[in-house]
Amino acid sequence: MESARLAVFAPVDSTARVEAVVRRLTDAISLGLLADGEQLPSEAELAARLGVSTVTLREALMALRQQGMVETRRGRGGGSFVRLPSGLDPGALLRGYAAEELRDLGDHYAAIAGAAARLAAQRALPSDLAPLLRSMNEMNELAGTTGTTGAEQDGRLRRLEGRFHVEIAAASQSARLTQEEIRLQADIGGLLWLSRDEHHEMAKRHLLDQHRAIVEAILAGAGDQARELAERHVLDAVDHLIELRLRLQEE
Amino acid sequence: MTDLRAESPAVDRVDAAAHRVAEVAGEVFASLRGVRAATATAVASVRRSGRAPVAADLAPLRPLLWSRLDPGRLGALIAGIGFIAAPGLLADAAWYLEWWQENPPGRPVQLLRDLDPASSAFYDYTHWDWYTGPLAGAEHTICGPYVDYLCTDEYSLTLSVPVTVAGAFVGVAAADVFVRRFEAAVDPALREIPAPALLTNAEGRVVASNTARWIAGSAYRGAPGFTAHPIGDLPFALVAADVLSGER
Repeated sequence: MESARLAVFAPVDSTARVEAVVRRLTDAISLGLLADGEQLPSEAELAARLGVSTVTLREALMALRQQGMVETRRGRGGGSFVRLPSGLDPGALLRGYAAEELRDLGDHYAAIAGAAARLAAQRALPSDLAPLLRSMNEMNELAGTTGTTGAEQDGRLRRLEGRFHVEIAAASQSARLTQEEIRLQADIGGLLWLSRDEHHEMAKRHLLDQHRAIVEAILAGAGDQARELAERHVLDAVDHLIELRLRLQEE
Repeated sequence: MTDLRAESPAVDRVDAAAHRVAEVAGEVFASLRGVRAATATAVASVRRSGRAPVAADLAPLRPLLWSRLDPGRLGALIAGIGFIAAPGLLADAAWYLEWWQENPPGRPVQLLRDLDPASSAFYDYTHWDWYTGPLAGAEHTICGPYVDYLCTDEYSLTLSVPVTVAGAFVGVAAADVFVRRFEAAVDPALREIPAPALLTNAEGRVVASNTARWIAGSAYRGAPGFTAHPIGDLPFALVAADVLSGER
């Protein structure tokens, strides 16, 4: 009885805090707020800056290591380093998902991206559109600079793609939709990027064409069209991802 | 306000609401002038000692920043506050925010962000209105309402003022205010106006209103029978129906 009572009165949020730290760092890494290969501050400093205990932080780092998003090296020059999931073996990542899960994640993401695009078309004012146009132009320039696809260029494109979609969500004026967009990018953004990696040049051009169409619909204030295009943008990539996953099964 | 009938008590109420908005924003700007003075003093004194400032030289600002996040006082309005260094100001960090956020019920926490444009898409902060406004010399900049995914993750306003040392721009003192808190602070005054009335930013984004026709976050694109009244030098307008005689 006494131990049950102790459990009742144990700090409610210790698990929640670990999850909150994991999510914060996962989001930051997936979106490129924290860059691939970047060294994280020391455990003590990071814990202080996030306002959590070092125990909580260590638990969170352990979870991130298991997800392959953080790598810890010992000894001189050691520490915790950020790892972008795109650096992982695509097959290994994909095997972690059943086709049904991918479909469901895609459904969720399409709903959020579509709703955000529709509201952005209805509500956006020039100051909301300026960041979108800048991201789109930066992506076009980057994709146009060279025929080769270095890992660095790929990483930059991936980060710009993430930023572009967060900016659309922000233009909807909905904080919840924006938070959800960021969370879903953390869940499925890396996988969707993988799906676009195959047949690289063509996929890249298609991606940029879809972006332009979404932006034009938002600029025109055409909400329904913007929603449909944004949903298609997600679902096309998910379809391709599911095909890749099914092919894995046959091997 | 020449088109309003001077004898209408509603005119006084529009004036009173505008005054209330200026007062609420003014409180935040007063805090920012304090941050500006402390930052300028710190940077100037380091320079007088013959070296370039580094990020650690901004640490003495912390007690002041924390006091502005104390839930007991203005913290009720301000969710995050700090100094954003102009790129190149600090010898050891090209990009730097001395930025603290409330963390109720605990102590304020410092914002953790990779701001180096070379490694992160989020991002060269010199593009944001809260930076470009003060850089261009505006004394009172209000950015938003916007979804602030860089700092608060909330629907926010960011208020900012320029910080200069010996006449040269060295960065920006800024504060984040949740739109819902700003709305709560000015709503009673808006509700006193016996006609549809709304507070918008310079672009027409609605900050607060007393009518469901335009709610915070929607866009006011002009409407017949409505007049926009300026609020001092703030980039805000109080828009009210011209018919203020009583029937809503």
